[in-house]
Amino acid sequence: MDVVVYDERQATIIAVEGSIDALTADDFLQAMQAQISGGRTRLVADLSEVSYASSAGLRAILVALKESRQLGGDLRLAAVRKGVYRVLELSGFNSILKIYDDVETAVASYDEVAQA
Amino acid sequence: MTLPVTNRRLALVIGSGSVKCAAALGLWKVLQREGIALDMIVGCSGGSLYAAGIALGEDVDRFVASTLEMWTADVMSGYGSNLRAAMSREVAYTERSGLIDDTLVWERLCATYGEKSFADTRTPLAVVATDFYSGEKVVLREGRLADAVRASIAIPMIFPPWEVDGQLLTDGAVSDPLPVDVAIREGAHIILSMGFELSLRRRMRSFNAVQTHLNAIYMNNLLRASFAFYNAVHHAEIITVWPEFDEVISSFDVDKIPHIIAMGEKAAEEHVPYLKKLLQVG
Repeated sequence: MDVVVYDERQATIIAVEGSIDALTADDFLQAMQAQISGGRTRLVADLSEVSYASSAGLRAILVALKESRQLGGDLRLAAVRKGVYRVLELSGFNSILKIYDDVETAVASYDEVAQA
Repeated sequence: MTLPVTNRRLALVIGSGSVKCAAALGLWKVLQREGIALDMIVGCSGGSLYAAGIALGEDVDRFVASTLEMWTADVMSGYGSNLRAAMSREVAYTERSGLIDDTLVWERLCATYGEKSFADTRTPLAVVATDFYSGEKVVLREGRLADAVRASIAIPMIFPPWEVDGQLLTDGAVSDPLPVDVAIREGAHIILSMGFELSLRRRMRSFNAVQTHLNAIYMNNLLRASFAFYNAVHHAEIITVWPEFDEVISSFDVDKIPHIIAMGEKAAEEHVPYLKKLLQVG
């Protein structure tokens, strides 16, 4: 799994390539926690290049989601592939996470928060 | 790290799903072909039929043949007339009743498992049923396999409940359609979960059809709610091997069993590379 992190307006994008599973979940979580501990809590996980996610990956998402929200931010998902979305759906995660079609829309969702 | 360095215990959990559960035979073929051994098996409702066969170490091809012999259309014989008789109160319907005479299915279970018990399994097995009166989950780990499977497949209203050691039991799906928790509690690290959602109808033209549709909705929601919880709390890995069927499969579409097995095989194959990586120690 490869992770690239960059800022886009007031959001921080975590672009992931590969699988988010028991073998990679720790690295994925550490990448997100590094941003959260650095004060960047408005996160967007770009999952357009994620081909597989499992329960271990979901729990990493859940931990980062809780930590970012506790600090007033959020973790939002963008460009989720069909197979990964199915896992999110079967696990009920789609009902607690905000999921967007693409990164631009996910970033724009934070604009609305900033203007409020 | 979510997995231990050594001794990674692998469990297979096969959930409820009537005839769709035959997909477990496809998964089993893949595991055998790849030389992947299980440390424990859990079965619920229709899934218990295959969980028991796998735990016994039965020959896959023989069990496929056995499945085709077991689930013939005549198993459901009398359903319509018995439903009408029960609705009109022509016959008394009690908590021990069913809309199908279960003599045939019991004979076939006995033909499949004989007198074999949990003690005869090569791999530890747990079969899940539900206490008819309290609704609590009951995990069976001893006794005759035919009894445990018969209790676990007691589809509500259709098959009569089944008494095991003085306890009246009904379908395991009523309390836990995909009992991943049993594998978690037994210390499994990697859990292959094969679950099945019930097919939903688009058109309903009878009381029975509407009732079946609504039953399917709340069974599916129970399945997802419990599965969500297990995913959130397990310390290691749950691999979701849920076949996606390309056509509607009703509970007793027995003629579709070969296709269902093929779909199970396909679903399992997709996870083999990852599963092998997980099982590599060090």
